[in-house]
Amino acid sequence: MTLLSLPSRIDRDLYPALMSPELNAKYPTDHKAFVRIDVSLRIYWHTLFDICPELLELSGPDGMSIFRPFMAWAGEKKLAFDWSYYLWVYVWLRQSQFKDRLLADGKYLRSIMAASAARWAILDRGRSRGIVIGCADTTDLVIGWKCRSVRVGREIELIEPEEPLPAPSDIFGYFTLPAFELNVFPGWQGLAR
Amino acid sequence: MRRWPLPAAQATFGASKRKRKQMRLGFNFTLGDTYDMAQRLMAEGHIDYCEFLIDNFFCVDPDELAKAFDCPIGLHIMYSKFLEADRPTLVDFAARLKDYIDALNPIYVSDHILRFSHEGRAFFHLGEIDYSAEYEFVRDKVLEWQDIVGQRIHFENYPSIMDGGVEAPAFFERLMKDTGAGVLFDASNAVCSHRNCGTPFDAWRNVIAAAQHFHVAGYRQSLIEPFISLDTHAEQLAPDTLDFLANFRSVFDKPGATMTYERDDQIEFDAIVADLKLLRNLFGQPQEGRHDLAVSA
Repeated sequence: MTLLSLPSRIDRDLYPALMSPELNAKYPTDHKAFVRIDVSLRIYWHTLFDICPELLELSGPDGMSIFRPFMAWAGEKKLAFDWSYYLWVYVWLRQSQFKDRLLADGKYLRSIMAASAARWAILDRGRSRGIVIGCADTTDLVIGWKCRSVRVGREIELIEPEEPLPAPSDIFGYFTLPAFELNVFPGWQGLAR
Repeated sequence: MRRWPLPAAQATFGASKRKRKQMRLGFNFTLGDTYDMAQRLMAEGHIDYCEFLIDNFFCVDPDELAKAFDCPIGLHIMYSKFLEADRPTLVDFAARLKDYIDALNPIYVSDHILRFSHEGRAFFHLGEIDYSAEYEFVRDKVLEWQDIVGQRIHFENYPSIMDGGVEAPAFFERLMKDTGAGVLFDASNAVCSHRNCGTPFDAWRNVIAAAQHFHVAGYRQSLIEPFISLDTHAEQLAPDTLDFLANFRSVFDKPGATMTYERDDQIEFDAIVADLKLLRNLFGQPQEGRHDLAVSA
């Protein structure tokens, strides 16, 4: 094993690198710290491409032409990597070399909005029951519902409203629902970083 | 702030040699799609109780949840993030948790000591704390969190990877003493810690002796070398995990003891039953009924 000049005795020494392919590259590949960071980065990768495998059609099978530059961009922006992780990937794709192919087929956007709605339903511990996600690139809405019964898991719905809601001022907007029904439109909230 | 007293079963641990077999086995119920399987495990006698990952069910009516299983229940918290969340958020979380505690009268309530984020950015593979530098901070947070919830909480040990993990046993021992908190001792996490950073099994002896509630699961190796062991809840129990349990069997087994078998991926009934049978063979059929477990709660 190569001697390491970077601190790596405890997990905390590695926290900044756990979400940074660039920082991971500074650790020798035969060191446990490199493997620990690699494990963390693989989960960011799988969280993206296992849930939205369509994106691999854009990037190629290893996903790295999306994953690496997105993670670097997310690091610069200090993105929180909360439930909106996927939406920020779309924001990045829209300004990338993949923009034309991305916008030519609505399946990428639907997949990304559904993934973020599901992630909200999995991770959010506030009192809201559901989330509605809208996008300036479509009039469709995606709703994520938290688990409402012991036998039923989270549910994701795609809504094609007869009377479209006003578009969010940014690329994406969202609002949450206090009950298990879509009967309010309090206006769009912008994504927090 | 209140320091929670040890229950009688722990306070008297080691005072006498027990002959009765007492370890109850449970299964982690995290989402509705394993409901029928958990019911079948119960009906066929493979488990004695269920552990709910309770904050996954915060939008389910507490009475519905209470009626869902005719067995004792443990409550395991995943996302309180009590080391990072502000007090109003924790108070609101605890208010909802209490509705389930009241409705379910759980055997125990447990939580995690770990990091969910760094400088406001979320980890997808959660982080281990610094046991040396953060002791006082964690101790005070544990006291505050138990005070807000209004009861003793059992905190799970981390499947350490980096070498600082060797400090975990002494940390948890000290934390129990200073706060009255329990340890939800995850045996396979200790196996990962042993494999990854050499934490001796014997260093956990006092923690195991004082703990009543346990977890066990499969782990796997990392995909690249130098291999590290990862707590995945997706594989069969490993031989060294079973050896660890066998070697410390008398330290694990005690009045009111529970061991939850965790499986969150590759959920196959026959494979789960095979592991539960190994655990039953190891610990024996508990000689107290489900009723006794509910009473001990």
